[in-house]
Amino acid sequence: MKQKNNSYIGIIVLFLLGALMPFILKRYHLNMLTEIIIFALYAVSYNLLLGYAGLLSFGHAMFFGLGAFVAAVAITHIQGLTLLSAVIISFATTVIAGFLIGSLLLRHKGSYFALLTLAFNALFYAVATKWHSVTGGDDGLSISRPELNLGFTSLSVSSVSSFYYLILVVVGATILFCWYFTHTAMGKTVLLMRENEERMKFLGYNTNISRLILFTFTGALAGLAGAFYTLHFQFVSISAISIDMTTAVLLMVFIGGTGTFWGPILGAFVYIVFQNYLSNITDRWPLFMGIIFVFMVLYVPGGLSHTIMTIRQWFSGRKDNHGDGPIKVEETSS
Amino acid sequence: MKRSIIRTLCFLSVALIVSLPMSAVAQDTIKIGATEPLSGTFKDIGERYLDGVKYAAKVINESGGLLGKKVEVVPIDSELKPDVATRKAQNLILKDDVKFFCGGTGSSVGAAMSQLAQRENVIMFTYGMAAATMTGAKCNKNFFRACANTDQQSYALAELIARNGYGKVAIIAQDYSFGQEALAAFKKKLARANPSAKIVAELYHPAGTKDYAPYISQIIAAKPDVIFTPNWGNDLTLLLKQGRPMGMSQKIFSYYINDLVTIQALGDDSLMIGNMGAEVYTLSIPTKKNEEFVARFYKDMGYYPTWLRGKAYLATMFWAEAVKKAGTTDVNAVIKAWEGLTYDGPAGLWTMRACDHQTQMPLWFTEIAKENKFFKHAFEVSAGMATAQSVEVPCEETGCPGLAK
Repeated sequence: MKQKNNSYIGIIVLFLLGALMPFILKRYHLNMLTEIIIFALYAVSYNLLLGYAGLLSFGHAMFFGLGAFVAAVAITHIQGLTLLSAVIISFATTVIAGFLIGSLLLRHKGSYFALLTLAFNALFYAVATKWHSVTGGDDGLSISRPELNLGFTSLSVSSVSSFYYLILVVVGATILFCWYFTHTAMGKTVLLMRENEERMKFLGYNTNISRLILFTFTGALAGLAGAFYTLHFQFVSISAISIDMTTAVLLMVFIGGTGTFWGPILGAFVYIVFQNYLSNITDRWPLFMGIIFVFMVLYVPGGLSHTIMTIRQWFSGRKDNHGDGPIKVEETSS
Repeated sequence: MKRSIIRTLCFLSVALIVSLPMSAVAQDTIKIGATEPLSGTFKDIGERYLDGVKYAAKVINESGGLLGKKVEVVPIDSELKPDVATRKAQNLILKDDVKFFCGGTGSSVGAAMSQLAQRENVIMFTYGMAAATMTGAKCNKNFFRACANTDQQSYALAELIARNGYGKVAIIAQDYSFGQEALAAFKKKLARANPSAKIVAELYHPAGTKDYAPYISQIIAAKPDVIFTPNWGNDLTLLLKQGRPMGMSQKIFSYYINDLVTIQALGDDSLMIGNMGAEVYTLSIPTKKNEEFVARFYKDMGYYPTWLRGKAYLATMFWAEAVKKAGTTDVNAVIKAWEGLTYDGPAGLWTMRACDHQTQMPLWFTEIAKENKFFKHAFEVSAGMATAQSVEVPCEETGCPGLAK
């Protein structure tokens, strides 16, 4: 119980710190932080698949891209659409897409599943490229950020700091919900399924349905991240739905580590910061990203979160249940 | 409790480390961001454009700078992706308050940058993105084009073909918006300039085609007097390489025939001699100002300001004239100053039209010949010019709702 209280305090402190950032950081860094929070949601959603359920997907970008494109198309074609309605439309679309694709794919496991997701991603990419009249093809779609309508009042979120607050609250709350999800019975089921699916089946769980729910849920979260990505850059192009975007989230999750809930958030932070600085210094920044990835996989397979955990254990001199290898099934008394 | 404190401290310290080295020293310079593909397949094109912009900045700085400040070119590697270009440009706006951007490669990058420029109220100008719609239906007050668009270039070549009395023309283009726009404009102008001329073959092939034999045999069967194509890069070299041995001996009229890299890559002068092109800048422009510019560039750099370099140089100098006239770097003032401004440079008299921000300028014809002033291999010689009026698209026909109020 004490541990849980500590987590709540930590979360509140983080949000308060986040709320202070516009007074501390310059606009450029605030803009970067907004991007980091959006990608953190994307990475967290991917880790729910990879770290929690042990499903390696190469097609997460199709949900991210779908969410991004649906938001952009909705804003372009529906006059006077408010920001939240656009987000809800794209969220609903990705839920449906996740459910349909999930029901097709989830009977397959391991590398079959991974390759099928890759194929579906390629399909989505091809549609985005060729359906020029809707997606803009290579040219992409430019939008202007609509106003935030709260029912009683309309707020403009065109400035860097106001949009940051919106992202901090909405996306932050979504990430928090993901954290809560991992502590629910459903979240535990996913973990146990990864550990021993046969046993879960014998205990009477329908693992296919549980997996489908998780797949739809993570897809919808990625779609949400995609919608906010569009709103952030006010532009979306086929890059958002390409395999590059899947590679990006893989890198974030691997850098941060799949072993903890907050690892991918750290990974998104490091990835975005590195990307911004490296691409300023050299045109060959993907090369360095690749080197970092290879290094992480070979020498720090647990990611940065694992390293931090180890250092902390070393300082406090006590053994901790967390932090090495995949996420552990916690012993709970509740 | 301890855990949350440590966690918080971690985040805070990383955030601080991140923000420290970025407190850049404010300098008294005018920054201009050049969005070009500086990595990947089109690296070579991007680097040649950038070279021209940098040389223009050097010339400006050596003659006392712009409004007493130095011009600093910030290269932005667009990777030819609109999202990458806009994201980096946005960062430059937020970080260094950069107000001016330019670029020459990729109309998709240009369209996205144009939107960004409008939103952030900065200026984007291009010296190479040719899609007519950018100053047509998609025009906006923050976007300027200081080179010819597809309409103007097609008009010039149609005019040249009509002037020389060729009656039967075969036209072939890449099957995407650029190729289609180019052929449509060509047909429109040819019908006006020489109503008796006939299009005997109109062919579209996918960009990046490897086997041209089916298209070439259709062209040969149609027995044209000349061939018009807006093809560039490999699509131009392969058309020539495969077509000439098959007996496609007609003169080729093409947008970018004076590309030194294409000529050198072909490595066979006989494929190119006799072909003609039209561009806003060519090495062989027979004006005194151009001869001085070429001589100075050659002295400074050790090579010629061919094609892309020259185009980027001229456009950047034109922008500098606008800033000079405005007397300030205030974006609205520069926009106002640039509208209607004329620039008398190496390539003749350029005027920035206020209604769509499309520069009106003469286009210079070139013919590829064995004997030329610049290289031992075949290269361009001057073949006259099309006046700005003859290639002008009236404001009402551009599709731009009208910018000047």
